[in-house]
Amino acid sequence: MKKLQSNITNMALVLTLIAVVAAGLLAWVNNVTSGPIKEINDQAIENGIKSVILGDRNIEFTVDDPVEREGFIFHSVNDKKGNLIGTAVESTDKNGFGGALKVMVGFDPEGVILGYTVLEHSETPGLGAQADGWFRQKSGEVKEQPAVVNVLLGAPGKPGNHNIIGMNPGDDMMIVSKDGGAVDAITASTITSKAFLRAVNAAYKAAFGYTAADAVSGASSQN
Amino acid sequence: MNYFKTIINGIVKENPTFVLLLGMCPTLATTTSAINGMGMGLATMFVLICSNTFISLLKNLIPDGVRIPCYIVVIASFVTVLQMLMQAYVPDLYKTLGIFIPLIVVNCIILGRAEAFAAKNNVLASVCDGIGIGIGFTLALTLLGIVREFLGNGAFFGYQILPSSMNMLVFVLAPGAFITLGLLIAIVNSIKNRKA
Repeated sequence: MKKLQSNITNMALVLTLIAVVAAGLLAWVNNVTSGPIKEINDQAIENGIKSVILGDRNIEFTVDDPVEREGFIFHSVNDKKGNLIGTAVESTDKNGFGGALKVMVGFDPEGVILGYTVLEHSETPGLGAQADGWFRQKSGEVKEQPAVVNVLLGAPGKPGNHNIIGMNPGDDMMIVSKDGGAVDAITASTITSKAFLRAVNAAYKAAFGYTAADAVSGASSQN
Repeated sequence: MNYFKTIINGIVKENPTFVLLLGMCPTLATTTSAINGMGMGLATMFVLICSNTFISLLKNLIPDGVRIPCYIVVIASFVTVLQMLMQAYVPDLYKTLGIFIPLIVVNCIILGRAEAFAAKNNVLASVCDGIGIGIGFTLALTLLGIVREFLGNGAFFGYQILPSSMNMLVFVLAPGAFITLGLLIAIVNSIKNRKA
């Protein structure tokens, strides 16, 4: 077959044809994959609610239908008798290091943080991406390393507190210690840490109305 | 064995990363760990083989005047297909590579091979070229990822080897990507010169 001439009819026809075929293909693949994608996302939310509210506790619970308010999504979790155990709040801060950072935080009825999970992030692997584990590491926990390393490089410094589980953003200053707060930022990932704490504080504020960090964060968290 | 030669050519003589220096943006951005580099390489290889196949099939149908828009539509379609498939069936890999997948559309390796090879050769040769260049790209990205992960995080494919106090964070960050890439290219060139 000879190559088609580059006249206007041929060009318009071929480009339109290719675009139409491509659109058809994409529509078909979207149709096939939208089911599994939705299932995975729903599953992630369900597991998230369970882990941020219950943690390791194994009790029967029911989850109310999600309520959406001002960009936050609330999932209320009740025990068997219908008493409120806690609320899981989905909260997004759009100024992470690589883009939006979406977390789910679980609060008990008094506002104490029961747990959290990072739902979506675009942070640097090895640095900001540690957020999912960093803020639940127990304070004073020292990473084990061989004795020879201690001799060569010195014993590891005593880590500060970066465990937010059990804190209450209504009473505790949930901002990075560099800004006078109570939480140590991830090493070399202050921007991620600030975004994470902003998301947690915003979730608390949406649920309970105020945070202890309000007074200072108004100025410092905007940058 | 012309086709075999085409494959080897893509891996060694025309390695997209170390020799052609094409597609530097994904190369530098995604190689923070070995598994990320490998995932990006394999994803690019999939798109490259598909686009090479279709463009060489359609090469006589596409008038020269609109060939670039046509190629881009074909490439972008395959990237979107890949993105949706990964999201549905390998969500873990998608979670780490998600933001880089749409970047494949503007990866100049793919448009470059479409223009320089697929538009001039038959389907089978184009597929082989896609495989060769794809393997070359994957190997290069994995190697970069291994070096950067080892120096920056003290790990090999996520398995911790060195204690965290010996990490050199700069290798995970952007400057470390340039340093590592420069040194690797120097090593590859010196090996090649010694052979010649």
